[in-house]
Amino acid sequence: MSCLAVSNVSRAFGGLRAVDRVSFAIGRGELVGLIGPNGSGKTTLLNILSGQQRADAGEVRLEGEAIQGLKPERIAARGLQRMFQLTRVFRRMSALDNLMTAGRALGLAYAAALARAERLLEELTLARVRDMDAGQLSGGQQKLLEFGCCFMSPPRIALLDEPFAAVHPAMKETMARFIRSRHAGGQTFLVVSHDMPVIVELCPRTICMNAGAVIADGPTRTVLNERSVIEAYLGGEAAA
Amino acid sequence: MDSSARRMAVEFRLSLGLLALLAIAPLAIDNPYWLGVLIVSMYFALLAAGWNLLAGYTGQFSMAPACFAMIGAYTTGLLAYHWKIAPSLGIPASILAAGAIGAVLGLIVLRLRGPYLALTTLSFAEIMRLVIGNSYGFTRGDLGLNVPGLFESRLAYYYLFVAVLAAAQGGLYLLLRSRAGLFLQAIRDDEVAAASRGVDVVLWKTVAFTLSTAVSGLAGALYAHFSQLVSPELGLISQTGLVICMVVIGGIGSLIGPLAAALLVYVSSEMLREVGGIQLIVFALLVILIARFFREGLWGLVRRALKKAAA
Repeated sequence: MSCLAVSNVSRAFGGLRAVDRVSFAIGRGELVGLIGPNGSGKTTLLNILSGQQRADAGEVRLEGEAIQGLKPERIAARGLQRMFQLTRVFRRMSALDNLMTAGRALGLAYAAALARAERLLEELTLARVRDMDAGQLSGGQQKLLEFGCCFMSPPRIALLDEPFAAVHPAMKETMARFIRSRHAGGQTFLVVSHDMPVIVELCPRTICMNAGAVIADGPTRTVLNERSVIEAYLGGEAAA
Repeated sequence: MDSSARRMAVEFRLSLGLLALLAIAPLAIDNPYWLGVLIVSMYFALLAAGWNLLAGYTGQFSMAPACFAMIGAYTTGLLAYHWKIAPSLGIPASILAAGAIGAVLGLIVLRLRGPYLALTTLSFAEIMRLVIGNSYGFTRGDLGLNVPGLFESRLAYYYLFVAVLAAAQGGLYLLLRSRAGLFLQAIRDDEVAAASRGVDVVLWKTVAFTLSTAVSGLAGALYAHFSQLVSPELGLISQTGLVICMVVIGGIGSLIGPLAAALLVYVSSEMLREVGGIQLIVFALLVILIARFFREGLWGLVRRALKKAAA
């Protein structure tokens, strides 16, 4: 059984088909990249998977259970955690309380949540800003904090939307190291990114979307060399 | 303990200090008029604490705190007037009635945000006030309803209000330090992120709305037995305006600010009474200044000054 199975999911905004009959499956322990030019439907797809938006049609299954149409908090409780493209942290709460909120919402007892939060702060090099309000942290630190919130209770799958965008290289490496180590431990990821070197380095498999549809799915290097993918990014002439 | 927990603990200790000062104030103030003023200011402090939980810690801007005080006041008043039910049952009934109506209203309106939520609660408050005001046969309308007193002595009322206010502040502090407090503050900061972390946003907003309206109902019931007369004027929008002024002037989202400001604003409004009805103008100007220049209110200013002095 796959960890996440997406079948014929569609979503239109007026006349625009933002997501068009998208199907793919992600196996347990896979680390998959999701790429595509701006406006290709990646974020809308992630919004549908995490319950922020409803699909017009299609089915989403997490570990075999249908999750489409569930509220975001129900989906989170079932083990799908996500990070947003535009960073979302609780700005007037401390970094520690941001993590504690995520842990407590997922049912961890206080002591367990605190121990886990302290470990994550250490691992993500945020220990020295533990008590600062999240709104006072740098953009990169806020990204790391939001990233950490996804792992307060090990998720079945983590959906990361542009985790490396506008992040200092040192922090990027911290995040990449974390992803590699968790992946080695069997964690499943779907990572959206425009950062091709990172996708190549991190993700053995990549899915490419364009105009709402999946245009390529396979080993990362193969996908990046596909004509349809190059055309989507650079236009027809470049591919020729 | 992290910075926000430390800050909250300091604010709670200061509010206990302020309540201790209130507890010993009758040693210096024996004038019944000023004792009455302090009692009414503690009534407003209770309303401010309830509204602060909703607006300051959960980010939901309701325009109905005075309306729920009116519901509480009329619940115990009507039970006593029509069925001779004792205040010992009437006051808990007021808490339940205000909380239950708040929960139902919350389920309906809490999917709305910002101005839509404010306008809906404002409409509800006006409808309730008009219904009560026009139901002469049952509520005696604008004539007002006589309510039995609880004590002979004004001092006894005074200490009842001090005790209830201390319990409300303690309850608020414990709530904010619990799992629920984290969820409410997360909702205030970002509802979408809170839901995606697993927080049931509608449930917790409804809990906050219910608790806030129950506190208002309790305040209204106590006020009704203290003043021994309730009228629809208790639910006037100007009363809600006063509560909002108190919270904003004191510092929205702090434990001590709204408590101190409720006492300060109401006592100074009584002092300004002699110079005519300019109190609301003064407070409205203060709110404009604070909203423009000091978003954290007077408590924020004090905190900043203390930090500077310590540095």
